[in-house]
Amino acid sequence: MTTAPPTTLSGKTSGSATPAASNRNLIDPQTLMSIRNLELRARVVVEGFWHGMHRSPYHGFSVEFSEYREYSPGDDPRYLDWRLFARSDRYYIKKFEDETNLRCHLLVDNSRSMSYGSLGYTKAQYANTLAATLAYFLYLQGDAVGLLTFDEAIRDYLPARHRPGHLRHIMLKLEQPATGSATNLTAPLARIVRTVKKRALLVLISDLLAPIGALEKDLTSLAACGHEVVIFHVLDPAELNFGFTQSVMFRDVETGRQLYVDPAIARKDYLEKLNAHNTAVEGACKNLGVGYRRLGTDRPLELALFDFLRERMQRGKLVKRRLG
Amino acid sequence: MSFLAPLFLLGAVTIALPVFFHLIRRSSKENLPFSSLIFLQPTPPRMTKRSRLEHLLLLLLRCLVICLLALGFSRPFLQKPMLAPQAADSGRKVILLLDRSASMRRAGLWEAALGRAEATLRQTGPGDQVAVYSFDNQVRPLIGFDQWAALPASERVPVTTRRLAEIQPGWAATQLGRALTRAAEAFAEGDQLRRDSGSRRIVLVTDLQEGARLDGLQGYEWPKGIEVQVEVVSPRKTSNAGIQWLAETADSTASEADTGPRLRVSNSANSQRESFQLRWNGVAGALPTDVYVPPGQNRIVAAPKLPPNVTGEQLVLSGDDDDFDNTVYLLPPKAEQIKVLYLGDEKTTDPNQPLFYLQRAFQATRQQNVVIAPHPTTTPLLPTELAATRLVLAADTLPAEQLAALQSFMTNGGTVWYVLKTNAQPASLGQLAGMAPALTVTDVAAPNYAMLSQIAFEHPLFASFADNRYNDFTKIHFWKYRRLDLRQFPGAHVLAKFDNGDPAFLEIPRGAGRLLVLTSGWQPADSQLALSSKFVPLLYAALELAGGIKGQITQGEAGEPVDLSGARVPGQSFPLVVTKPDGTTTTLAAGETRFTGTDLPGIYSVAAGGLPVRFAVNLAGAESRTAPLPLDELERLGVPMKPRAVDPAQQLEQKRRLHDTELESQQKLWRWLTLAALVLLLVETLVASRITNRTTVPLEGTL
Repeated sequence: MTTAPPTTLSGKTSGSATPAASNRNLIDPQTLMSIRNLELRARVVVEGFWHGMHRSPYHGFSVEFSEYREYSPGDDPRYLDWRLFARSDRYYIKKFEDETNLRCHLLVDNSRSMSYGSLGYTKAQYANTLAATLAYFLYLQGDAVGLLTFDEAIRDYLPARHRPGHLRHIMLKLEQPATGSATNLTAPLARIVRTVKKRALLVLISDLLAPIGALEKDLTSLAACGHEVVIFHVLDPAELNFGFTQSVMFRDVETGRQLYVDPAIARKDYLEKLNAHNTAVEGACKNLGVGYRRLGTDRPLELALFDFLRERMQRGKLVKRRLG
Repeated sequence: MSFLAPLFLLGAVTIALPVFFHLIRRSSKENLPFSSLIFLQPTPPRMTKRSRLEHLLLLLLRCLVICLLALGFSRPFLQKPMLAPQAADSGRKVILLLDRSASMRRAGLWEAALGRAEATLRQTGPGDQVAVYSFDNQVRPLIGFDQWAALPASERVPVTTRRLAEIQPGWAATQLGRALTRAAEAFAEGDQLRRDSGSRRIVLVTDLQEGARLDGLQGYEWPKGIEVQVEVVSPRKTSNAGIQWLAETADSTASEADTGPRLRVSNSANSQRESFQLRWNGVAGALPTDVYVPPGQNRIVAAPKLPPNVTGEQLVLSGDDDDFDNTVYLLPPKAEQIKVLYLGDEKTTDPNQPLFYLQRAFQATRQQNVVIAPHPTTTPLLPTELAATRLVLAADTLPAEQLAALQSFMTNGGTVWYVLKTNAQPASLGQLAGMAPALTVTDVAAPNYAMLSQIAFEHPLFASFADNRYNDFTKIHFWKYRRLDLRQFPGAHVLAKFDNGDPAFLEIPRGAGRLLVLTSGWQPADSQLALSSKFVPLLYAALELAGGIKGQITQGEAGEPVDLSGARVPGQSFPLVVTKPDGTTTTLAAGETRFTGTDLPGIYSVAAGGLPVRFAVNLAGAESRTAPLPLDELERLGVPMKPRAVDPAQQLEQKRRLHDTELESQQKLWRWLTLAALVLLLVETLVASRITNRTTVPLEGTL
């Protein structure tokens, strides 16, 4: 097991592996979900990811160079670039980008709609595994990871820390089953805004099955606080395709409402509405500068992690470009 | 196959329901959990195409169950030919009872009753035997069974209708019970004669008023097989009040002279009015009186005041709808003058003589005024004097011509009370008693006193003392009396004896009359009789025995017989001639005193040689109670009622329905059909459960 992470989450990633190239070695989510231990699952994903990373050309940068500055008395002589001094006989200070510990908060939706799954595992299991993977990954990197699970109210909150045993706490909290009824982002996001004063990375994992108006409002308030937000929109393939064939009474797992639906008739309308919802969410995220990634639960988690890193990298570039 | 309730067959239409449900592809009752329905719209149930009808066997079973149930509910039965209806017309016996009481005089009732009667007659067939009776307080046949049968079939109804049109409602009361029993008996008589037994029915056409008397039915066992069909005619207006004269009776406390005649005004229970007016008819200057009577109640009122020295005989009530019972006839009260002859030469003021006490014994009452007419023995007795009396008292030795006159008086029914106040009267006594003149009469002075004993209380003279409270004669002491030898009076009846066995009171029949002999006087020298409380009743009893007190005729009831014996002059056998209010006269046969021709209300007068006696005949009070009588009352008395006659077609239809109901209840096919439906339901359940088991698949895996 490697002790040093090949990449840093603080800004740039060393590159991006093409998913097609690595698909062969990816772990099938169904197989993954058959591992009962969440921590083990996370470890399997992260290690598999690292295996992939070793083959990628973007690893090896541990310190991010920023610029040169002329030495002025009082500067730390350790950062003098002696080679440049040798070439130019001038003292330059080599400046690096500030390297701080990342504070990452994982916001995991545990509402009852997340307990739906057509692949043998639920969206909640998938989302928890994803959260666990990210937490494990970040923990290994030495970043502080916090967790907030919610449904219509906040269920559990663990502040972002990096200390022994914290990861274990996070895993335990994530292993608790989804019991909430509705999805309500307002309360958890308000809580986060209230408690996290320092700029942090907020990773929201949810199926976002809530009216678009309320969603937009909640995301706007979150983005306005200056946090960096990444959203993983987790949806089941059955929700995405609506591939039912038999007319049946559909029961809303959140409200218990029953509806007789003939899929052959209702599919088109459903897909239209779903796509409109998704597009609206995506558009809102784009407008707010929020990272958005839609994940079907059949998508391997490594790819999700990869997506995450790429997202970070792109954002880093974007930030850099802005700064430059 | 026929059906008792064919409308239930429409229930078979509901087989459309299972077909409909089978066509709907609502796949299962199971539901599929889904994350959120916010993007879903409910789909209306979709009909499959005809070719996609599923589970045909199940559908067939369900349709069959519904059909069987519908069939069962419609009560099917196998039709059998109805037995030919009995020749109902052939043996039917009908008695039509037509009420012609006074209450039928109300507006429109009689016409309606005739209409009903005609309708009933028209419903009879040629084979029917019909009799028509009219009734009020009597039942009068109009057409008998024999007369009906004797008429040609086509003539029966017209002839009977003509007869009916000839009669009019009378003034008599309604004796409904009597009429019904009479009609039922008429059936029985006919049956005894002919021994035929068809259906028997009495059709009663009446206003069925509350005052109809049903007491004839009390205790009468109604014959089996006779049913009564009541055709009630109802008046258009129901307010009716009646008036009756409460004629004074002997025990009335107040005299009519003080209060005037008293009247009972009654208002029928279904009346709409409460205020009426009472006035004298044909009397000028008399003011009317207002009378307030709530419906269903009576009020006793005094007649309006008459002007001085004016008499009225007709009072009229006004203010109600029907006036048949609004007139009452009344006569002012009149005391009867009764003359009692006393033969003797005594002074009326001498308290030692019997006459003194006799004159004070009779007090004038409102009913009668008894006058004692003393007649000296020296004056000859005229036949006219004797004709005006029924009782002659004598206490002296009488001259021969007076004795002869008294003898003929007794022979004609007169009564002579002979008082032996001295022992010097044996000749007169012997002559009066029809014995030899040599009678031995001895004066007896009782040692202390004598008392009456062995009194014949069964005799009319002493009957009023028969009660234990009054039969104590021991306080009447006799000091002196005259002893008679009973052997000399072979036909004499000893009414009382003295306590030593000597006769005290004798009755000797003489022709149609009698001779009463008191062997002592009632003056204080002889006895205490005149001073005792028994004296006056004894004199009245003697007067009554002699026929001196006659029943006074005051008021009769229309339709009811009146006893006119009071009008007959004693000792005369003139026939009674009754003049009716309409001027017609009826002569009663000699000796007949019962007058039955009171068919009109009004003032009647009867004469029998002497002064005419007048009496009023009024409507029966019950006739004024015109509220309808509930039909249950007849049923309660055991009269089986039949509903109103229906149309023959309807009757046939009713019979057919009854026949069908009977057939259906015998066959009870619905039981088998229900059983079959239950079996099919069982099969359906089995089939359905098998199909369900076969097709159950996990729904969540149907993606």
